Amino acid sequence: MGGWMLSGIRRGTGPLIGTVVASLAAATLTVAAISTAAAATQAPAGRLASASVVVAGSTNVSVTLGTGQNAQQESLPLPAYRGVPASLGQRLARVPGAASAVGESGFPDGTVGPGDVDLVAVTAKPGISPDVLAGRIRAALHGGQGYTIATGAARGDVANLNAAIERSNGQDLGGALIAPIVLISLFVLASTTALAVNLRRRRFALLRAIGATRGQVRRAILTELAVCGAVGGALGWLPGAALGARCVRALAAHEMLPTGSAAWLSPWLLAIACGASALVAWLSGQVAARRGSRTPPAQALRETAAERKWPNPVRVALGLLAVGGTGTLMVFTLGQKSAAGQLALAFPLLLACMLAVALLGPLLVAFTAWLARPAVALDGAPARLALAAIAAQPRRAASAVIPVALAVAMVGTVYFADTSIEHATSSQASSAVTADDVLTGADLTAATLRQVRALPGVRAAAGVTPISAAVTDPDLDQGYGAAVTGGPLGRLLDLGVTSGSVTAPRPGQIAVSALEAGSSALNVHTASRITVYLPDGTPYRATVSAIYSRSLALGDLLIPASVAAGHTGTPPGYSQVLVSGGTAAELARFAAGHPGLRVTIRSVANAQSAAATAQNSFANDLILGVLGLLSAVALVNTLVVTTVERRRVLRLLGRVGATRGQVAAVFGWQAVFVAGTGLVAGAAAGVVTLLTVTRSVTGSWAPFIPLAPAVGLVALVAALTAGAVMIPFGLMSRREPTLASG
Amino acid sequence: MAPSFPAVAAGTVNDMTEENSAATTLTSAPPPTQDAPVVLEQVTKRYGRGRRSVTALDGVSLSFAAGSFTAVLGVSGSGKSTLLQCAAGLERSSSGSVRLCGKELSRLSQRKQAVLRRQRVGFVFQELNLLPELTVAENIALPLRLDRRPAGRADIEHAASRVGLSGGQLRRRPAELSGGQQQRVAIARALITRPDVIFADEPTGALDPHTADAVLRLLRDAADGTTVVIVTHDPQVTRFCDRAVFLYAGRVDRELPDPEPAMVARLIQQLGDRAAGERG
Repeated sequence: MGGWMLSGIRRGTGPLIGTVVASLAAATLTVAAISTAAAATQAPAGRLASASVVVAGSTNVSVTLGTGQNAQQESLPLPAYRGVPASLGQRLARVPGAASAVGESGFPDGTVGPGDVDLVAVTAKPGISPDVLAGRIRAALHGGQGYTIATGAARGDVANLNAAIERSNGQDLGGALIAPIVLISLFVLASTTALAVNLRRRRFALLRAIGATRGQVRRAILTELAVCGAVGGALGWLPGAALGARCVRALAAHEMLPTGSAAWLSPWLLAIACGASALVAWLSGQVAARRGSRTPPAQALRETAAERKWPNPVRVALGLLAVGGTGTLMVFTLGQKSAAGQLALAFPLLLACMLAVALLGPLLVAFTAWLARPAVALDGAPARLALAAIAAQPRRAASAVIPVALAVAMVGTVYFADTSIEHATSSQASSAVTADDVLTGADLTAATLRQVRALPGVRAAAGVTPISAAVTDPDLDQGYGAAVTGGPLGRLLDLGVTSGSVTAPRPGQIAVSALEAGSSALNVHTASRITVYLPDGTPYRATVSAIYSRSLALGDLLIPASVAAGHTGTPPGYSQVLVSGGTAAELARFAAGHPGLRVTIRSVANAQSAAATAQNSFANDLILGVLGLLSAVALVNTLVVTTVERRRVLRLLGRVGATRGQVAAVFGWQAVFVAGTGLVAGAAAGVVTLLTVTRSVTGSWAPFIPLAPAVGLVALVAALTAGAVMIPFGLMSRREPTLASG
Repeated sequence: MAPSFPAVAAGTVNDMTEENSAATTLTSAPPPTQDAPVVLEQVTKRYGRGRRSVTALDGVSLSFAAGSFTAVLGVSGSGKSTLLQCAAGLERSSSGSVRLCGKELSRLSQRKQAVLRRQRVGFVFQELNLLPELTVAENIALPLRLDRRPAGRADIEHAASRVGLSGGQLRRRPAELSGGQQQRVAIARALITRPDVIFADEPTGALDPHTADAVLRLLRDAADGTTVVIVTHDPQVTRFCDRAVFLYAGRVDRELPDPEPAMVARLIQQLGDRAAGERG
């Protein structure tokens, strides 16, 4: 039974190679994503390696969200130590089995209030296992509520609080990539398999004629695809593992995974890669297999299998539905104000756009062919032939146009969404800071600020420190903002306050960005009461004193510096002092008197949000690479197959006396048509998502599209299209002796 | 497939061939023999709908008796291939009844029709007869495999030897064989299930006269007791047939028992002239 089913594979017919290549690409990316998401990310215990048990104030903040039945406990790792009383050391030293207990404080990240320590390192007596000791300590602390008690590998996360945050960042990214990879692979494979089946309709018709049932043909197609998928998966295993290892290193370098993290490189990945690829190929082939098995057996008898010219009405209806869905999703996405909400909806929006283009492709191609009729006048016979072939078979031409459009839409959207957000950030940053001068340095303390304010001519000065705080918007997330000292902020910053006071928030107050205050995020107005959690987990309950629109530079939250002091894990002080008024000479003299201080021009005041932007950029680049690879594979695959399939036309043209140059012009015109239509359709589909994302993140409808990358993208797509058409043409034409040279 | 047929009333057909009246034994269809393996009654096949529809078969009634060897002839567009497709269940007729091996096709599901084809019917086509990726032996065994029946080496070799294929050729791919050898493989495949009926659509269309002759002789000898229906426009094919059916404009124009190629050629010529006359 299996013999005839898999016979197509044994001879490695062209279209099936396409399926293997697409599966290989998909498997490579899936393996890389899984090995990243499941990476071993235990941070080394480092300085705490000699401690048997490490005890610290709970390193997580936990919040109960919702009420009643919907109540849900969420927790987030904290970037700073909560601090425990120094006396805890003596108390733990008395726990049976403990040899010593030493409080530690002041390690980078660790600065807690007076009389407190960051953590207590407990050493066990010989013969007492760390776990036993941890159990006793937990009992001594009445269940350990409010403490983190770590042994073994878990000590690393207590030794380096950032490890937990980095891990959740990196693993979230890896995990978040798996679904898009699988979905886009399905997309890519569906077009490849549809083509592979379509080109062999007569083969399936013959099988049907000699008595294969529809079910047998369908199973044969699906078995073939699943085997191709599994083979592609096996081939993608090693490249995927290598890519995953690279990816983990890159993430660690970008502080999105703890240093020393190692990708998960288990042999199970091979099984996962094969299984997942086979499954994806099998799923993607469902439609194609149904269609293939429905080929009327009478078609085996016909010389030229007549292909339906117009798409199935169901396909058109689904296409229109996808257009409607795109509109609905667009409105929905614009309503989302949190970054997570936008990102979550941007991808489905892109998929809906692409689905609409894919389903309505044949109509689009027919319309473009109609528009392109004037081109016939330019180049005579070759252009006429090329256009006639397209107009006669819009469905077939669409199968070549669609991957081009998808490549443009996917890569363009992700890349230009990133450039738009970056552009908006930097332009906001330069317009948001209106201070005349900015002082930076290591020792900007309250005393420095007082001295600056006392300088002659200084009208206003304020200290600014980046800060992160956990907010419930509406899930428990890390929000970024700044701790600012009191004073007339309006003279130093132009934050675009839309409601409330332009002066700095006082203790008990908080200023929130318009994005963060939106109904789908915090959902607050001025005078609303909210609670945020400072880096060490201390809740800060405050009244919203102002809502401002320019948040990309300074972040989404402004908290009084006096409130944040002692809760950030850093020594008291500011990272920058903004100064308005005064003379440059006076400030320069002041800076010269304080070693380490520098006077700089206005710059981004929030290094932490800049770091977050850099991480986003890196994540975007990663997604971009994934999408670029998959769409390039789809594009080249489809075009090569559709070109090779026109071998008969090439032969026929040669027999009726066409020169090699003329036939090359026919294929060239087709490539121009495919690239042109694909670029326009892809740009149209991409712009919908791009505009929506730009609008919701930056508040402006104008995306920033730098010329060079845009031209580069167009050139790359054009080059890939030209190569995928003209290289197979060149190889085929060389083997056609009937083609006259010239 | 979009032939345009001149609408011709059946009654006008016969006056043109009076000079051949001796050879023309039949001018109207006889009542079909009910127990024949292939019986068509008032079969009509229309392609398309409404004003643009094309009638490929127009109330055809025919039967093919057990063990008979019949050629179906006609000019291009006369409906020969459509007749074969409807008779074999490859196409569903628009109206009328088709009984294949005693089963009314319109009452069978697609699946049951497929099973009937692989168990009781053999096919030989003009081209794309064989799956290029399978070996000759695998191509021959295909109907058995589809039917989940064991395809023993001896069965395959026996079928191959009946059409004159040697053991060494069984391991080759179709592309490595000549056109005549490929048709032999197709015949062996059609025979391996010991079918009741073999349908052949222009089986010698792509072969030179000498090879065509050998292939037909083989089919005739090998199909011992099997009903064979060959669609062709080649008068020479009728040398091996015990009956010739002529189609014109989707209708049965006439039948000849024990046809002679010269006579068949003349009749085809006349049908061609008539079609040209009606077009012009």
